[in-house]
Amino acid sequence: MSKRTMTLNLSDEEMDALEVLAAKKDLSKTVLLRQALRLYQRVEERLERGETLFFEDEARKQKAEIMML
Amino acid sequence: MTPAGPKQIIPVALLNVASRSPVVAELWKPITEKNLADWEVLWAPETAGQLKVLHQAGIERRLWPQSRKWDWRQKQEAFRGRLDNQSYAVMQGGETQAMMIVDLSARARLDEQVRQHLVYIDFLEAAPWNRRTLTGGQPRFAGAGSILLGAAIELSLEQGFKGRIGLHSLPQSNDFYANACGMCDLGADENYSNLRYFEMTPEIAAKFLKKGA
Repeated sequence: MSKRTMTLNLSDEEMDALEVLAAKKDLSKTVLLRQALRLYQRVEERLERGETLFFEDEARKQKAEIMML
Repeated sequence: MTPAGPKQIIPVALLNVASRSPVVAELWKPITEKNLADWEVLWAPETAGQLKVLHQAGIERRLWPQSRKWDWRQKQEAFRGRLDNQSYAVMQGGETQAMMIVDLSARARLDEQVRQHLVYIDFLEAAPWNRRTLTGGQPRFAGAGSILLGAAIELSLEQGFKGRIGLHSLPQSNDFYANACGMCDLGADENYSNLRYFEMTPEIAAKFLKKGA
């Protein structure tokens, strides 16, 4: 499959966050960014359908809506 | 306009059950219009014929293949353009022998790999003539399910998920995933029609690939 290359400039904070998450999930930084893009696309699709994104804490019976930019 | 063909074709082999000999086949990625047309024109009448035999033999409806209601065209349309879904088809003799759609956004449930990324198999179905039927019908080709499972593992490795895969199994396939594939059985999932959930660790995936489809 064909692939295209891009250069991504990140701030120190962004790179630190990326490295921490990649280490935590045992993924490469590239794979983690691909996963983030997939997630963003899926969330956007659901929001466009008028759905809402929530985090739910079943034990505390709390629900918090995630506000997407 | 010429319909889009597969972006990737990988040579694979199926087993001709009658002659016990391997036959050359292809793994296509993604599912194409040709595969969907085969599902409509070839799979649907064959499935209807098998259901008629089961009905006439007095086999209970709950034991009929649950995938009979799957609409592959609708599924493929729903997933078109989504980065977290990928699809595959096995081809032999110019006909679609099996199809699969996977999801790259799911997380593992097994304690030892909980919340790690995995490739989740949303749908996997063999052509109706490749299924063993409850009335004694023998499959034409064997191995299509294993080829697709192997493709899911390869995708998992390629994505950095270490070979981890997961799926909910239809009842008639529980034995295949548990025993032939050695997947871990996490039991019936009450949030998913009580279908049993199976997962493969990197170690089991490596063994599966080594054994070969």
